[in-house]
Amino acid sequence: MMPSILLQTIIVPALVALVILIFRFQLGKKSGWVAVLGLVYTTFLLLVALVEVYNGAPIKESYQLLKSPDISVTLMADGLSIAIALICNLLCLALGTYSIKYVAHRIEILYPETLGGRGEISYYSCFFYLFLFFPVGFMGVSFATDLVLMYFFLEILTLFLFFLMAYFGYYERVWVATMCLIWGVFSALMFLGGVVIIYSQVGSFQIDQIHMMAGEPLAFWAIALVLFGMFAKLAIVPLHVWMPWVHAEHPTCIAGLLAVYANIAAYIIVRMLVLPLWDDFQWFGPPIMIFAVITMIYGSLLTLAQTDMKRIPACSTISQSAYSMLGIGALTAASIEGGLFFFLSHIMGKTVFFSVCGMVVYITHTRNIRLLGGLATKMPLTAILFLCGGMMLAGIPPFSSFAAEVVMFAGIFERGDTLGLVVGIIGLLAILLTISYAVHFTRVIFFGPMPENIAKDDHIKDPPWTMTVPIILIIVVSGALGLYPTLVMELFEPVISAAVANM
Amino acid sequence: MDIQFAWLCLIFPLIGVLLTPILSRISTPVMNYGAVFFSFLTAASAVMMLPLLFSAERLPLESTFVWLHTPITVSFGVLLDPLSVIVANVVAVISFFIMIYCLGYMKGDPGIMRFWMLMNAFIGSMLLLVLANNLIIIFIGWKLVGLCSYGLIGFYYRDERKYWIGGPAPFAFDKPSACGVKAFIVTSVGDMLMLGGILIMYYYSGTFNVLELYQTAPEWIPVMADTPGMIILVSILLIAGPMGKSAQFPFQEWLPEAMSGPGPVSALIHAATMVKSGVFLIARFIPIFYYGYWTAGVEDAMYFFLIVAWVGAITAFLAASQGLVATELKKILAYSTVSQIGYMMLALGVAGFGQDILVKGYMAGTFHLMSHAMFKACLFLCAGTVIHAAHSIYIDDMGAMRKYLPFTWVFMGLATLSLIGVPPLPGFWSKETVLVATLESHHYMLFAIALVSVVFTAFYSTRYFAMIFHGKPSKHIRKETSKPGHHVGEGYRTQTFACGALAVGIVTFGIFGLKAEHAITDLVSLQLVTDLGLATVDHVYSYPKIMVVFLSVGSVLIGAVPAYFFYFSGRWNADAVYRNSKLIRMVHAFLWNRWYINSLYTFVFVRGFMGLARIVADKIEKAADALVQSRLPNGIFKISKGTVWFDQRAIDGVVDGTAYSVVNSGQLLSRIQTGRIQEYLALAVIIALTISGIIWLS
Repeated sequence: MMPSILLQTIIVPALVALVILIFRFQLGKKSGWVAVLGLVYTTFLLLVALVEVYNGAPIKESYQLLKSPDISVTLMADGLSIAIALICNLLCLALGTYSIKYVAHRIEILYPETLGGRGEISYYSCFFYLFLFFPVGFMGVSFATDLVLMYFFLEILTLFLFFLMAYFGYYERVWVATMCLIWGVFSALMFLGGVVIIYSQVGSFQIDQIHMMAGEPLAFWAIALVLFGMFAKLAIVPLHVWMPWVHAEHPTCIAGLLAVYANIAAYIIVRMLVLPLWDDFQWFGPPIMIFAVITMIYGSLLTLAQTDMKRIPACSTISQSAYSMLGIGALTAASIEGGLFFFLSHIMGKTVFFSVCGMVVYITHTRNIRLLGGLATKMPLTAILFLCGGMMLAGIPPFSSFAAEVVMFAGIFERGDTLGLVVGIIGLLAILLTISYAVHFTRVIFFGPMPENIAKDDHIKDPPWTMTVPIILIIVVSGALGLYPTLVMELFEPVISAAVANM
Repeated sequence: MDIQFAWLCLIFPLIGVLLTPILSRISTPVMNYGAVFFSFLTAASAVMMLPLLFSAERLPLESTFVWLHTPITVSFGVLLDPLSVIVANVVAVISFFIMIYCLGYMKGDPGIMRFWMLMNAFIGSMLLLVLANNLIIIFIGWKLVGLCSYGLIGFYYRDERKYWIGGPAPFAFDKPSACGVKAFIVTSVGDMLMLGGILIMYYYSGTFNVLELYQTAPEWIPVMADTPGMIILVSILLIAGPMGKSAQFPFQEWLPEAMSGPGPVSALIHAATMVKSGVFLIARFIPIFYYGYWTAGVEDAMYFFLIVAWVGAITAFLAASQGLVATELKKILAYSTVSQIGYMMLALGVAGFGQDILVKGYMAGTFHLMSHAMFKACLFLCAGTVIHAAHSIYIDDMGAMRKYLPFTWVFMGLATLSLIGVPPLPGFWSKETVLVATLESHHYMLFAIALVSVVFTAFYSTRYFAMIFHGKPSKHIRKETSKPGHHVGEGYRTQTFACGALAVGIVTFGIFGLKAEHAITDLVSLQLVTDLGLATVDHVYSYPKIMVVFLSVGSVLIGAVPAYFFYFSGRWNADAVYRNSKLIRMVHAFLWNRWYINSLYTFVFVRGFMGLARIVADKIEKAADALVQSRLPNGIFKISKGTVWFDQRAIDGVVDGTAYSVVNSGQLLSRIQTGRIQEYLALAVIIALTISGIIWLS
């Protein structure tokens, strides 16, 4: 196997970012492709790692930073983390490619005075070197084996998200970027509070040591603090108010990654709280399920009422993030695995959905859906992609979200209690709202007669291939995982099912 | 090899879907014939499974691959038993004829590639649903047919005026894209509930495999019954899916609007195949609940049969009554479909009412499914030709079209007679079996509802047929035929051929109707009694069979004769009756407005949910947003003002006060800094003594 494969997945994007920063004027607008190349390489690395993990034991890499005192960093890829890292990286790759045209367009709108000069190149390359810290953060969070490292990478995500949004967002970008930063810091502080409690009890930051505080009274408070912070990140009602603003105002090309940024909290909860503190976590299961189901319905209703193209997927994220939490809250092996599989499916679906909304805004320069209609005639491929995104969110076969839903709800009913039964049925009916808004918005935006200005505008057509092909790639991956969900489930099985079986 | 044909039934349509865009690059005719060719291969594969029915003791056959083995086990496979072989053949063969019809009907349509892809995708999904051996895979097929149906109903997504249905003005019209959305959402309600039922059943049984569910039912059903109400809940959830897909009460409202799709789509999806999937699935569930009630002695299991039977009967009556006044041709046929499926549900429901009635009811439901698929597909295809010729969707815009459409008149006439239940056509035989099963179950109310529905069926069928082909030509037809080189005539040859082939099928099936009934009875008996070991007893007729024939034919006459006088001969004037009777006008309005159920649903669900969404967005979210994004920061700023005050008054005060105190203390202490050595010495001694004293004392 290749040496330091996990470290490379973190370091390479950072190095590529450095190269882009240093050679930005030499690279010009090729910096986007350089970023993509770096991500192609890390995707390859992750595929190699996936094969390794799939065939055998987890991959573990340790690097000593200081001899005295002994400070070392350990990275680990098991079935859970490698699946999440690979999908996240794939989305970064797809959105990096998507951004090549999109960012140029954003700069045209935001900084017209720089066009044709070094300023334009500066902004263009700036996007990509900031963007590359997303894969750094995602890989770091996925592979971290200690809480400090996890916190560090979480903060990296928050910080670089702030700059990206402030530079390339929409109308109220700086205000919204600040708001996002504050919420991010709030989540991180809660997380840190939990970490401090854990350290005080265990004397270690290692995730595999957390179980030592099981049964301690302070375990409850550690869980509560971290969970509260992660609920804010996941935008669980009532901690969701930041989500519509942030999603609506930042550049669409990173919107999918923002969904990952929010949803990776589900992974953290499972990794850090559910598995090590299984018995202590039981108390939190029912409230999580109730909050999750409320959020699912609330988010869907909120989505239905939207008329702003960018707020549609924003509000949808609120609803969809809660699905994973519903599965995790049910606390059975199947529901947790299904919930995490749904997390992966959702981030793929949301990336497609967001990106296609971005395409429509990119082409039509219109965010108000009441001014749109009949676009399928001029943008047939975009219409199909939008519908696919909606279907991916709604859990329609053959997309992976269907398999995830089946596994997750089977796990929820497996609880065998009234709460599981009631919440399960309500949860299934809540999916109906997702189906409703998916087909409703498809109709409003793409079907029916075209408004006169759109009909006359010859520039309205499907966007360039650099924007469509990456989205098609994600759809294909989601379809493939839907047709063969065993691949993901076999990866999750030794980490979750095996652990839960021993509880 | 037999089981491989089942796989081929799934593979050929898929290849058809994938190849259609490639074939379109060659030429449109190549693509057209290519798409139809794959449906032919599918039909041929299905027909190759038919010999299995003649050696049914070899059934069931199963072929399975593991789809998911952790954390739950789901296999992907096919199951060949009499039910799946029969229904697969109905689907594949009728689909093939409909595809032939499409060669003419869809000629020149700009969206033809999309059409062929959706049609083949639909056929493949429908066959997946029918042939799957596992409830999750059935559900996948179930969702995919819904998705294809959504695409095909909204096929004319640009919503051009000519594709609107509903009306005529001043009544509201429905646009195709909205109809597709409605169909998808309404059927999805049932789908989601059914998925819940399947997953709960899995919790108790530990399997999704159909045969394993049957075999282990006596073990897990009593365990399920230990939780009070669970069997009833699961019954309702499982029934909801079929009720949605088969447009049964209370989910019937989507089907009339689904007629906005192209004519052959209505024939394929909304007459012959997809709407039958609910009947098929109920038939699949029957052995489970039959075991539950008659073998395991779980009384709640009877609710499954009661719900199915009553829903079927109510739907048969309700939809048939709506068909009495409708004027859109395809909508009348849609109401008719809903009503006829109600009969199938009724038969399957009464199947569980007694051990002696199981085979009869099950057979009646399956038999009516087959015969109805054939004659209703023919009716829809003929309707497509008629609408195309008349350039109108309303039957009161037609009249005296027999001379322009002589073949269609014959074909549609035969299909209509079969729908009415005129002997010896298959509709007569199959409806007869439904009525017999219902009567023999001794549920006389259900039987009475079914008979009244027969009256309604005869009336509306005679009415539409007469208004299309007989009587005087309408003003619209006179206008159309007065145009030079008018197109009021038969469609393309492929259209006529497909309708003719189905009509021949109807006649043939009718001639061998009794034999078919016996053959299906034997197959059902073999499947349920021999293979699955369901406990049954021999049936002893409580009533002479001829009595049902008399009642049935009598009901047909009660419905058909007035319709004949109103619309065929014109002796009676329907308009005068309508004008002169307030009661008739009220009843007409009630039926025209679909019992006001559609309006109620629109008010409660569409407006209700959108209103709720607006409340969430405009009130709750804004309040929450203001609280967190505005009031909370403002509160923090206010607190910060407090801290400023605290800082200025308290902290600054302390600091300043300390400083002043230090200065004051300094001034005080400076008094002892006199510069005189002796004073310093004295002070040092005093301090030393004081400290020594303290140490000594302590």
